[in-house]
Amino acid sequence: MNIDEIFDNTSFTIDREPHIVLDATVCVSCDNRGCANSCPARCYTWSEEEQKMTFVHDGCLECGTCYVVCHRNAFTRWRYPRGGFGVAYRMT
Amino acid sequence: MSKTYQAIVIGAGPAGSSAALTMARAGLDVALVERGTFPGEKNMFGGLLHRMPSLEKIFPDFWERAPLERHIVKKGVTFMTGDSSFSTTIEAGSFDRPPYNGYTVFRPRFDRWLAEEAVAAGATLITRSTVDEVVRKDGRITGVTILGRSGQLSAPVLVAADGVLSFTAQKAGLRKPTFDPAQMAVGVKALIDMPREVIDERFGLVRDQGFANEFVGCTEGVRGGGCFYTNYDSLSLGLVFHLASLRTSGKTPYDLLNAFMEQPQVAKMIRGGKLQEYSAHLIPEGGYDMIPELVGDGIVVAGDAAALCNATGLNLEGINLASHSGIVAGEAVIAAHQANDFSRQGLAVYKKSLEESFVIKDLKQFRKAPHMLHNNRIYQEYPELMCSFMENIYRIEGAPKENVTKLFLKSAKEKVGLGKLLADGFSAWRSL
Repeated sequence: MNIDEIFDNTSFTIDREPHIVLDATVCVSCDNRGCANSCPARCYTWSEEEQKMTFVHDGCLECGTCYVVCHRNAFTRWRYPRGGFGVAYRMT
Repeated sequence: MSKTYQAIVIGAGPAGSSAALTMARAGLDVALVERGTFPGEKNMFGGLLHRMPSLEKIFPDFWERAPLERHIVKKGVTFMTGDSSFSTTIEAGSFDRPPYNGYTVFRPRFDRWLAEEAVAAGATLITRSTVDEVVRKDGRITGVTILGRSGQLSAPVLVAADGVLSFTAQKAGLRKPTFDPAQMAVGVKALIDMPREVIDERFGLVRDQGFANEFVGCTEGVRGGGCFYTNYDSLSLGLVFHLASLRTSGKTPYDLLNAFMEQPQVAKMIRGGKLQEYSAHLIPEGGYDMIPELVGDGIVVAGDAAALCNATGLNLEGINLASHSGIVAGEAVIAAHQANDFSRQGLAVYKKSLEESFVIKDLKQFRKAPHMLHNNRIYQEYPELMCSFMENIYRIEGAPKENVTKLFLKSAKEKVGLGKLLADGFSAWRSL
């Protein structure tokens, strides 16, 4: 299966105000960056070339994996979205 | 938005709704606060609801009343490699008769139903509300605020049932500010559409019968496992990974899930199906040693928020523990209201009742299981050993056969090593 299709099947009501704010400067010197491979929603992308971590909250499944695996405390904010926003499971 | 209740329950999942239901039935004015647009919207699990003795006490007709899918008559375990698998299944007559031992359910339906039962009993359900701060006055908890809204919801006591990350328990100082990745797992799941008749035919099921299967060896060496469940007209296929192992593996959950779906034997199970939904959730798998403070002044913690999840390797139980803890939490709050004492001492009966129940007793008994399950060999070498041993047993080469013991030792030496095999056997025996 094309991996991109996996993510297209989940519904969201996206909040413009991000519920997670990452201080990506912390990620530059991180020795693990486990968030980039562990996040089930592919929200974190590390560019080796640019030495830069990119985070988008749009497809976040609100699971908390990044919150647990980040050992550098790189979040300036980590909370659940405001009520009514975020992922909306229909039949899981 | 400012209102006063006799108790506020944070999170309308199985723990929270069970607590709200218990308190509402006793006549308390309870608020059940949920961040989703409806209860269950944010919730996800593998797909199997074990027997719920605690809810059966509240609803003697639970199994007719709750929105369930198929009852499980057939349970299997599969040891798997990239191209082979060795499976065992048990199908018992008793699994096909009430009281059924387990059902597949959809959380957005099940959790919504349970919350509606709490509402029918008199609880006030407040959806679309993410709890922000725990409010204190003179050191005592007096309520909570809601993210993005002014005012507060007031009550002398909170039930924190806000799930695995429980920010409420953290803000009340009951759980540690950080989690240990070694005590957490992430589950990902694909829900696959398939006509009911195809499921019945393919898995040998009739009427409302269901099939549940667990997998080991399907995670490319990452500590974890797989699960497969039949719903009426869809299949749930999921993987669970220990975070401490996943984060250093360089592998991604969705690539591993995709590879699992493409493993030849699994591909046949889901052939022709269409992906409907992809979901993910954390599981507190640290067992007894992960349980936070269960009681504080004006607060009790229940369900996943209290890490009440029992992962022994054979069974993964959570909802039944959550629901029971919610009921016991509700009873403790009722008693606290009668005594007008919401202090830690006044609510201590919650902890005591939990300790006397299967919830803490089971977690205590399997206290060493999480440690045993951190053995990487379980997830790759042992499934390879099982498959290679069985393959050698059945293989016809036209040469004289070796005896079974020799065959086993040969596979064991090659895949695991005999010393390690003995040590692992001892460790498994001790923890289970």
